[in-house]
Amino acid sequence: MGLEMQHGGKTHATLATEAIAEEEGRYVYCVADAGEKMSLGKIGIAGHEVHTIPHKDICAVVHDCLAQPYQSDDQEVIKTWAMTHQKVVETAWERWGTVLPLSFDTIIRGEAEKSAEQNVKDWLGQKYQELKRRIDKVSGKTEYGVQIFWNPKAIAQNLAQTSPKIKSLEEEIKTKPKGLAYMYRQRLENLVKHEMESKADEYVTIFYNRIRKQVDDIRVEKAKKAENDLQMILNLTCLVYKDKYIELGEALDRINQMEGFSVRFTGPWPPYGFV
Amino acid sequence: MVVDIDEKNLKHGVLGLVIALVEIIRDALNLQAIRRMDGGSLTEEEIERLGQALMELDTAIEEIKQEQGIIESVKSVRDGLDEIVDDVLDRMINPEKWRQEAEQWV
Repeated sequence: MGLEMQHGGKTHATLATEAIAEEEGRYVYCVADAGEKMSLGKIGIAGHEVHTIPHKDICAVVHDCLAQPYQSDDQEVIKTWAMTHQKVVETAWERWGTVLPLSFDTIIRGEAEKSAEQNVKDWLGQKYQELKRRIDKVSGKTEYGVQIFWNPKAIAQNLAQTSPKIKSLEEEIKTKPKGLAYMYRQRLENLVKHEMESKADEYVTIFYNRIRKQVDDIRVEKAKKAENDLQMILNLTCLVYKDKYIELGEALDRINQMEGFSVRFTGPWPPYGFV
Repeated sequence: MVVDIDEKNLKHGVLGLVIALVEIIRDALNLQAIRRMDGGSLTEEEIERLGQALMELDTAIEEIKQEQGIIESVKSVRDGLDEIVDDVLDRMINPEKWRQEAEQWV
């Protein structure tokens, strides 16, 4: 429908040198819950001026650019761009409270008959209902990251003291000759691993249910690699009502105080994970 | 998985890879040994011999890793493999992933 969203990786083929409407684009950072037309200053990628394009009571937060995706072979450059993108979204979010962040390198371009500016307006118009619905979903809520770690060594030690099976096997090993002791220790390690896995499952379910009660929406992310001696057993992104934040913090605090467990609580963020 | 291939690192890289594979075979042997032991098909004496042999293998692997300074490189190979296996399994047992991937190509 004459509207094209470009994401990084796809290149625009036009090579003409004149600055015609087709080559013009608007880099879109997010859609905000406000109908204002205004400038946010030169805070955009590569120092571009960021401004809004309103439609009814919502607006797109954009900067003017060429209809080409931002690309670079330099990882550092891309990182800086992505961070600037995030900064702009955060600025808009602090200002208007509710935003729908778009992914990095979303560019709406102009056409021969229509300016990029107009295309953005049309896009807001066409998608108005859906955008409004999504804004309503995240309105008054913020995103938090919740990561729960445990210290496998501490937990294993605890298990060794509480599990009669493990305890008796450990006693047995002490009385055996070298080779046998080695084999029994392998068996012991397997047993501990097994018990730890079922313990992890048990705790994950308990924690998940506790946290679920305090949040509006929840997403389970893939647990990341261990850091130091800690192992991540649960990685969540939560959408939280602004006034529910304290309860969530308290629930997490209780988990954090359990021996061998620790919690990382990050945020508040714009609702990247729920739009 | 990152295996640096410049000349200085080549030896370390290859050696790290080899030792990582030896470790994986060792782990498989260990599992088999435990299975047989638990299955009751081995005499006490056989278990003792098996245990000693595996223990010596362990010691030898540790020594090589120390001497050659490849502890990190072995670890990175194994972590890399873990990640690949993890990824494949996740894709197989997680229908949500199929949907996401299918949507990507629409």
